[in-house]
Amino acid sequence: MKKLAIYTLAAALLGSTLYAVSAAEKTAEPAQAAAPAEAAKEPPVCFESRKGASEVTQKEVKPGLPNVKCSPTTGAALWYGDPYDGTVPMGKMPGMEKLPEGHAVVKPRSEKLALMPMCGTACHNGVGPQFNPPTLPKGKKPAPIPTMEAMVPDLKDLQHGRGRIWCMDCHHLTQRNKLVDHFGDPISFDQPQLLCGKCHGDKLRDWRDGIHGKRIGEFTSTGKKRWFTCTECHNPHNVQDGARNRGFAQLQPEPPPQLPKGMKDAKHEKLHPIPH
Amino acid sequence: MTTQETPKACPAKEQPSACTAPPASADPAASAPKTSRRDFLKAGGMLSLSSLMGTAALMTQSDNAEAATEWAEHFQKNYRLMTDAEKAEARARLERRYSQEYGKQVTVDTTGPQPGVLMGYALNIRKCIGCRRCVHACVAENNQSRGTKPGEKIEWIQVLRMERGKFEQGKMDHGYPEGLGIQVGGNAYTPAGQVLEGQYHYTPEAVPEQDATYMPIACMQCEKPPCVKVCPVRTTYREADGPVVIDYNWCIGCRMCMGACPYWARRINLTSPVLPKEEMNPVTHYLGNRPRMRGVVEKCHWCLQRTRHNRYPACVEVCPVGARKFGNLLDPESEVSKILERKNVFRLKAELNTFPKFFYFYD
Repeated sequence: MKKLAIYTLAAALLGSTLYAVSAAEKTAEPAQAAAPAEAAKEPPVCFESRKGASEVTQKEVKPGLPNVKCSPTTGAALWYGDPYDGTVPMGKMPGMEKLPEGHAVVKPRSEKLALMPMCGTACHNGVGPQFNPPTLPKGKKPAPIPTMEAMVPDLKDLQHGRGRIWCMDCHHLTQRNKLVDHFGDPISFDQPQLLCGKCHGDKLRDWRDGIHGKRIGEFTSTGKKRWFTCTECHNPHNVQDGARNRGFAQLQPEPPPQLPKGMKDAKHEKLHPIPH
Repeated sequence: MTTQETPKACPAKEQPSACTAPPASADPAASAPKTSRRDFLKAGGMLSLSSLMGTAALMTQSDNAEAATEWAEHFQKNYRLMTDAEKAEARARLERRYSQEYGKQVTVDTTGPQPGVLMGYALNIRKCIGCRRCVHACVAENNQSRGTKPGEKIEWIQVLRMERGKFEQGKMDHGYPEGLGIQVGGNAYTPAGQVLEGQYHYTPEAVPEQDATYMPIACMQCEKPPCVKVCPVRTTYREADGPVVIDYNWCIGCRMCMGACPYWARRINLTSPVLPKEEMNPVTHYLGNRPRMRGVVEKCHWCLQRTRHNRYPACVEVCPVGARKFGNLLDPESEVSKILERKNVFRLKAELNTFPKFFYFYD
């Protein structure tokens, strides 16, 4: 009896997987028909600073000159042909008035956050099903809402602030596709430095002067630069990377240099002349 | 010229005068020169003339760009002594040759130092995670040899992994030298902080590792460069805007500079450089990243082809943590000036009085 049950179950599973595969093939067919040339070789996409934040798709700026070169080992951006690829003007930033107009550009994050346009229309539109006007929850701990947890796994145990801050300290109360400043006014997701600078003023000052963080483009102080914003390097929900307590998440390193002639490995490097 | 040694085999019909009896003297110096010296000079002259003509013909045809370039390069002056016209000529020659060799339009820039610029570099060693992206960005930009055989793979930046030392109660009796009964007390011989003793070939799954710090080292662009002092042909020198450069054409490959450099910054092309056509960067500078030949020394030049045109060096642009900073030391608003003003800065091996323009700093 048991055996029979197992057999039928296996058969059912097989059938369902077969169906799923055929369905997937069906959906894939029209896409291939639409772009047969592109399907043959996808242009490489490489990540820039941290994995999952900003990416560049390789393309040719001029014949023979790519906008970016990607690492074959790690998939990281290794060389910039066009530092301003896919950027928009940064917008107003206090303390940076000296820069000529349009000389500070950033890569917009809004388009990367695919769910962002939906947040403001579907659920967080300020007109909730049960409440109008919106009311704050009683406790300040992030409430376990299954849909939100599925989208942003970091929320279950929000590390940033070690339990001293919660969602609404950074996210706007009613305009959920915006961040919030000290006055309750919205801040664009493309300018997270205005938000982070609320607490991390020393880092904001260093960032504005080019000491903290990363900029690419022209090196003179008034030159056109692409500024990497806070969230392009730091994960805002888990800045300290949990127990590691470092601001930058771990990465796979690029391959090591060539070994000295005749050497099979680099064990000699680990022999310490002074025992300890 | 060689007839006097084999008089018997001489064909009498053609040259009877040359087929005289062998000279009485066995001294070759006394016997041979009579006819052979003049002939030798004559033939030598003809030979060199014909070779000149041949090369000239090649030059005018410019079918074989390499042969033409080699001929002209032979009579080229040291870059610092070249007039603007000669530089333009050398540039055109190189562009023609490289374009042909690599199958794409290669430009060889000869832009000089820009007024009011003194380049400077700063690196935040607290931020560096040892990912080696700068090393490979440098290779992608600067046309280094990238073969697989020994000596064919050249990288200008080295990233040194150093252990974070720690002091432990359990090691209090472990002194140095160990086992000799000498009690030096404590365990203060444990490495702690930055010691220039570490690993270059580390390959962990992910960096940064818990117990390591990383220190990238490349050319420090010293104000008093020891490599420049020892160069016997004066082909390496400090440019007016800071970087120490090499005129590759005048390098004789003696490697004196490699021995003099206290920062292990210089590399030699022991083999013919391996540079695939598709990976070659066509935007080059004469003193910078133009393809090198076998037997010349090369090193970091702060991406002259970029920085002379106001662009960040390649390593600065790819550093994922923003540890690398580049700017004009004469501009008080530049990032490097701000770092010198505000941060704790040190120069590597400052005791050698090389005065690097490469500064390490930490938050």
